[in-house]
Amino acid sequence: MTHAANLLAFLGLVVTLLIVWRQSWPGRLRLFVAQSALLAALAVAVGIFAGKPGLLAVAAVVLALKAWLIPRALARIGAGTPVRPVAPGRSSAVPVLVAGGLVVVAYVVMLPVTRATELPTEGAIPLAFAMALIGLLVTVTGRDAFGHTLGFLMFENGVFGLALLATYGLPGIVEAGVFLDVLAIVLLMEGVVLQLRREGDAAGEELRG
Amino acid sequence: MTLLALLAVPLAAVAALARARGPAAAAAHGAGAGLTLAAAIGLGLAVAREGSVTALGGLLRADALSAWMAALVALVAALAAAEAPRHVPLGEGGRFYPLLHLFTFTMLLAVTTDDVGLMWVAVEGTTLASVFLVNFERSRASLEASYKYLLICSVGVAIAFVGTVLVYFADVQAFGHEPHALRWTTLVRLAPGLPSRVVELAFVFLVIGYGTKAGLAPMHTWLPDAHSEAPAPVSALMSGVLLSVGLYAVLRFKTVADLAAGGAFAQRLLVVLGLVSLAVAAAFLWAPRNYKRMLAYSSIEHVGIACLGVAFGGPWGLGGALLHVANHALAKSVLFLLSGRIRAAYRSAEIPAVGGLLAAMPRTGPAFFVAMLALMGLPPFGLFVSEVMIFRAGFEAGWPGATAAALVLLVIAFAGLLRAVHRMAYGTAPTPPAEPDGWLSTAPVAVALGLLVLTGLAWPPGLATALGRMAAALAP
Repeated sequence: MTHAANLLAFLGLVVTLLIVWRQSWPGRLRLFVAQSALLAALAVAVGIFAGKPGLLAVAAVVLALKAWLIPRALARIGAGTPVRPVAPGRSSAVPVLVAGGLVVVAYVVMLPVTRATELPTEGAIPLAFAMALIGLLVTVTGRDAFGHTLGFLMFENGVFGLALLATYGLPGIVEAGVFLDVLAIVLLMEGVVLQLRREGDAAGEELRG
Repeated sequence: MTLLALLAVPLAAVAALARARGPAAAAAHGAGAGLTLAAAIGLGLAVAREGSVTALGGLLRADALSAWMAALVALVAALAAAEAPRHVPLGEGGRFYPLLHLFTFTMLLAVTTDDVGLMWVAVEGTTLASVFLVNFERSRASLEASYKYLLICSVGVAIAFVGTVLVYFADVQAFGHEPHALRWTTLVRLAPGLPSRVVELAFVFLVIGYGTKAGLAPMHTWLPDAHSEAPAPVSALMSGVLLSVGLYAVLRFKTVADLAAGGAFAQRLLVVLGLVSLAVAAAFLWAPRNYKRMLAYSSIEHVGIACLGVAFGGPWGLGGALLHVANHALAKSVLFLLSGRIRAAYRSAEIPAVGGLLAAMPRTGPAFFVAMLALMGLPPFGLFVSEVMIFRAGFEAGWPGATAAALVLLVIAFAGLLRAVHRMAYGTAPTPPAEPDGWLSTAPVAVALGLLVLTGLAWPPGLATALGRMAAALAP
């Protein structure tokens, strides 16, 4: 259990850092799909080791929602915008460095949590929280609607990972409500962004959160 | 039964309004708002009799605080519903009316569920239901406002989710997988045994998250745009009660944090946030240019005051904060509704463009003027009493410096508001505006102002008991 959780959470974090590093939005979208798939795998692993069959259903929903339905909506938000940021030679070094710093921050912030538990998944908890923090970073520094929404979803994925590792999932009704809310947020976001675009503006690019 | 009715009525209204057209839509809208208010009053009476009411196996639970909040939501929703047809013709509004009732439903669910996970879902639902309402005018500015609102509130409320997960974690670590571990009643029962450091950490996330929804600075940045761009009835609902729903969530968790980690931690955090909110609001209110934005910033000011009351605690602080939330809901919803009429008449939301309001609009003008005086905290209106209660609690709780600073900031905001209302009320009107017809248009406003005088001058029987019971439930 410990090895599986640590490995999957570590891979998730690597993918998260790659999202920060990549500049083209289709590339970032593919990495987000990979991150969601890793989380689904984590849910399966935790479900099997902790004897919680409900988590297998959760994993299926994650796959359907975050690896298929939501990325399609994200692609529609990204469509029509330049594949890469316009300014040439813009380096990703600083954001990646900040994201690396956030991993350290995550370890410090999660100290009270990791100290309070003997769970086999304990070691991976700060990794999931780091994913959430980096998602927040992507939201705040996002240059357009695609970046903002992607950042929010990464944050949400991180929190979902945290819930998996720290409490082996949440009660069913809450889990279902969270999925519904996330889906609704992305669809609403798409609606607002497409409407902005119809207003004759270049993809609402100057919008900042 | 009343509890289920309270939630079923607005949902039924949503379903009916999604299909109905013409007179049927008007009937469904009126019946929905009226019956919701009746159910909320019924719930209040049932809670006064029995202490607390539960439904669906305890998933829904209303104690004195829930009943108080539900009554506020239903009352402001009824005021907004009465005003809405003036802005959006019934039967032509498309999704407007169903979403208006859905918005009311999500707020009612948030304050009547015992499950803090479901409460989170409902609070997130309030954002989702209201995004389209903010964007109803479909102007460039309202689109941008709704984008900002959706993004910031979604992220904020997701931060509250981290806190919820951590509380659940603390619960599971200390007591194993208890049934209904995320119910507030369970959390309060188990709180003294929860690991205090984890609960403190969780509370920080919860305050940032739900504080975003409550409009506490520095997480308030979505609020002025959303409140000023939304149609007047929606602004009234958002400012009057949506912010209080955010504060309600903080209050529920503060009880858990106090029991698990002692009161000092949450108190310090909330005092700082309350003061920062007051400072941000006072800085803007010193010289406002747009009266809808002025009302929005004044909401940040009053949420800050209520937050201070919650932080100071005790019967005076908590009672004062809850009374203040109600007073503010009444005054601010009236002001937003009237500001919608003023905007329609003058075709501008800029303060310099509005002049001679008292003479030009003989009903709306004086009502706006009086409601502004109430909002500024002048006697004989209720806000004066609740502010005095909160500041008294501050001095009693050993925070004289913070209380004095809050008073200074309040005076700055007062001066700015007075100057703005003076500019609007007197002088000459640039173009002769048209006053809405009929004495009926003033009836809801008169009811709200009458209630404000009541909470300021002579408390109705049972109010003191209700405030005492709420304070006792929050500080067991």
